[in-house]
Amino acid sequence: MTLVYHSINGEISMHHRFSRRAVLLSMGGAALSASMPVRHAFAQMDAEPWAFLTDDEARWLAAIADIFIPEDDHPSASQAGVVDYIDMQLATGYGQGQGLYLQGPFPEGTPEQGWQLPVTPAELIRNGIAAAREETDLATLPDTDRLTWVEAFSKREDPIGDAPAQTFFGELLSLTKEGYFADPIYLGNHDYAGWRMVGFPGAHAYFTERVGDNAPTKQPPMGIAHGQLGHRAPRPISQEG
Amino acid sequence: MATRTLPKTDVVIVGGGWTGLTAAYELAHAGQRCVVLERGQNRHTATSFAGPEEHDELKYALRHGHMQDLKKETLTFRNNRDQQALPMRRLGSFLPGTGLGGAGIHWNGQIWRPLPSDLEMRSHYEDRYGSQFIPDDLTIQDWGVTYDELEPHLDFFERICGAAGYAGNLNGETRAGGNVFEGQRSADYPNPAMKQPISNTLFGKAAEKLGYNPFPMPSANVTQAYENPYGAQLHPCTYCGFCERFGCGYFAKADPIICVYDRIKDHDNFEIRFEAQVLRVEKSEDGQTATGVTYLGEDGVEVFQPADTVCLNAYGLWNVHLMLVSDLGKPYDPATRTGVVGRNYAYQTVAAVDAFFDSDVITNPFMGAGALGVVVDDFNGDNFDHAELGFLGGGYIACKQYNGRPISYQPTPEGTPAWGGDWKRAVRENYNHHGDLVIHGSSVSTHENYLDLDPTWTDAYGRPLLRMTFNFPDNDRKMGDYVMNRAVEIAQEMDNVTSVSSVNMAAKGKDYSIVPYQTTHNAGGAVMGTDPTTSVVNRFGQMWDHHNVFVFGACLFPQNPGYNPTGPLMGLAYWTLDHMKTDYLSNPRPLMDA
Ligand SMILES: Cc1cc2nc3c(=O)[nH]c(=O)nc-3n(C[C@H](O)[C@H](O)[C@H](O)COP(=O)(O)OP(=O)(O)OC[C@H]3O[C@@H](n4cnc5c(N)ncnc54)[C@H](O)[C@@H]3O)c2cc1C
Ligand code: SF4
Repeated sequence: MTLVYHSINGEISMHHRFSRRAVLLSMGGAALSASMPVRHAFAQMDAEPWAFLTDDEARWLAAIADIFIPEDDHPSASQAGVVDYIDMQLATGYGQGQGLYLQGPFPEGTPEQGWQLPVTPAELIRNGIAAAREETDLATLPDTDRLTWVEAFSKREDPIGDAPAQTFFGELLSLTKEGYFADPIYLGNHDYAGWRMVGFPGAHAYFTERVGDNAPTKQPPMGIAHGQLGHRAPRPISQEG
Repeated sequence: MATRTLPKTDVVIVGGGWTGLTAAYELAHAGQRCVVLERGQNRHTATSFAGPEEHDELKYALRHGHMQDLKKETLTFRNNRDQQALPMRRLGSFLPGTGLGGAGIHWNGQIWRPLPSDLEMRSHYEDRYGSQFIPDDLTIQDWGVTYDELEPHLDFFERICGAAGYAGNLNGETRAGGNVFEGQRSADYPNPAMKQPISNTLFGKAAEKLGYNPFPMPSANVTQAYENPYGAQLHPCTYCGFCERFGCGYFAKADPIICVYDRIKDHDNFEIRFEAQVLRVEKSEDGQTATGVTYLGEDGVEVFQPADTVCLNAYGLWNVHLMLVSDLGKPYDPATRTGVVGRNYAYQTVAAVDAFFDSDVITNPFMGAGALGVVVDDFNGDNFDHAELGFLGGGYIACKQYNGRPISYQPTPEGTPAWGGDWKRAVRENYNHHGDLVIHGSSVSTHENYLDLDPTWTDAYGRPLLRMTFNFPDNDRKMGDYVMNRAVEIAQEMDNVTSVSSVNMAAKGKDYSIVPYQTTHNAGGAVMGTDPTTSVVNRFGQMWDHHNVFVFGACLFPQNPGYNPTGPLMGLAYWTLDHMKTDYLSNPRPLMDA
């Protein structure tokens, strides 16, 4: 076990709800269940609650994240654990507004003035998902309509709930990409999905001899806690409410 | 009011970064009892920055693990005086440091010297192009110190860092393969230049074909085992790619902890206090001198530290903030164009060019280092004829390979969507076949870009926030376009390149934004000079109004040259310290007549 893993868990605040047992169901049909590695102990996983999300929020996030990063020769966002990543991020420092100056008042600014919302990122995401679901629940749309919905949302000018739609959208997109490519200690990038895709060898980095080469790197990826931490599979996400 | 008063010390130093620790080293050895007050925590290169834990892109590059906590201190920002400035609630455009070593821990290590003409900007342009050449809205001025005066100090800082490079002007002899435009050097770099990756090499070849003068970027990522003049041991860089925004656990990137702090920490005249947030500088009853500083100690109690001499080393922006909240010097007022503190704030004008290679070129972008680049300086400063161009200043063009960290490094050709299947494919296909060019341009000063105090928001200690009013001057928009177009031409000339795209952060019609990272090269605001109506400190870094206050950092720059600031500001630091040691401390007084 590494320190890093402990400290992440240590930071989770104590207020999360205990989500009901997640039921393993495929997200986009048979593909996901087929690609789920069999070695994982689902029984044990099922009992594990989300740190921050509700099941509905997790389903919604999985749906949008898989539009951002769909499955091809490489796993989709949710297959790579992006929802687990987002859950942990919202429960810990970033989501809870660490390093974010939140003194009021909060007049509206220009885009050049950056974040001016009176909320933490976790609140932004929670409120945004609730407002979006009130209009249409992305997770219940047929696969073919999801892309159209996200495309429309990406250009939306009306606010979503109390927040500018573009701020909410931008935050979701960043979180999804982060989850796909961050070190697996943060629960995304499962089995180095993102790193394998681009060929990034990871955190153990000594290249003095090779830096001038024009040749591919064969080295398989190694994360910070490689070989020390049993990477757990992404939580299964039930499609039913 | 301070609730506790400590015994007096000779020198109190605000901030434990490059300039603060260096001031402490030099002054302690000159027999001065020095107390360094650092708002952040203690940390050590060997234990705090070791891989693989340090190689955590999310924690350090995205969540700013080593940087300043905005909940405690931030600033407000607006593009012009007609807007309301709003708080910088999240870090973005620049990333100031906190804790032992300051931003010197997570810097890249690009170690530059200013051009001789940069230091005499106004008189140089007037001499060469006539006095009508400089537009009225620019407040550029001479630094009050010349390149020849600074040269020994610039050289010494390169030795402290074990800088790696190849001299282009050694004692007046021009050497191909180095920067042929640089001022005369008294010695070559202490270490040989870095090895270059394929993309940088192809850039250098193309630049040469076009008749330019490429050279390896001068680097404080050290290339061989090295001992600096203070006795610090540095090791060769591993090209690990976790450099900018990270501490170096290999003892390979020169930083203020290894290079300075470790060599002074046990000295009898040296003391450092951590989690010591300086709130203000206190003044004597007649207002002519400072009496010391008040800080908030670890236990939350306000403490007064009296001192004979006060050094401001808190980083340029926060030096200006301390002056404003302490009523040191006359604040600048843009309406009347009088006053000096906050005047001539400048930034850096940055543009980027992406070159995409075919599959024959495999760049391995993760084999990177903070100062790994090949540079063309033909369009920096006044290295090219400005007569017909309608702007002054310039920038260097570098092809660089800093890192291939996969959250942030996702180069895709123009027209690629921001998400979805096509985006995913483009990320995968281009990651290993990309040349990364930057245009690092100068920033002129104007009447309207300045720093003052915000009327609305406060920091965690109840002080008004610093307020930044800044937009790119037209001069710099033109300069940025011009130099960027030269970079595009080089990129198009590079072998195996299939497409080129570019973006100028200062493009016409595009306002400066506090959101995307550009550089932590905030300059000006407490500028040096020879005229007290247009400078806060004299040419020795000494405040005109309070002779026992000395100021360090890029806030001294009257405008920002097209280079990274630490080489120049450390040259100035050694220059100031030299005058303190040899002239001031034995006979404290104003070193220049106002
Ligand atoms: C990501 C990044 C990359 C960079 N790369 C380069 C590069 O390649 N080349 C280059 O030339 N420059 C680079 N820089 C800039 C370089 O880091 C700075 O120029 C340099 O660190 C300035 O030194 P300083 O001593 O003025 O300030 P700092 O190093 O910032 O030190 C100031 C210290 O003062 C402390 N402090 C501030 N306020 C208070 C207070 N009120 N009380 C007590 N303590 C206080 C801070 O905590 C900090 O430790 C980079 C910066 C960043 C962030
Ligand atoms: S690239 Fe070199 S200097 Fe930079 S952190 Fe890695 S080993 Fe240190």
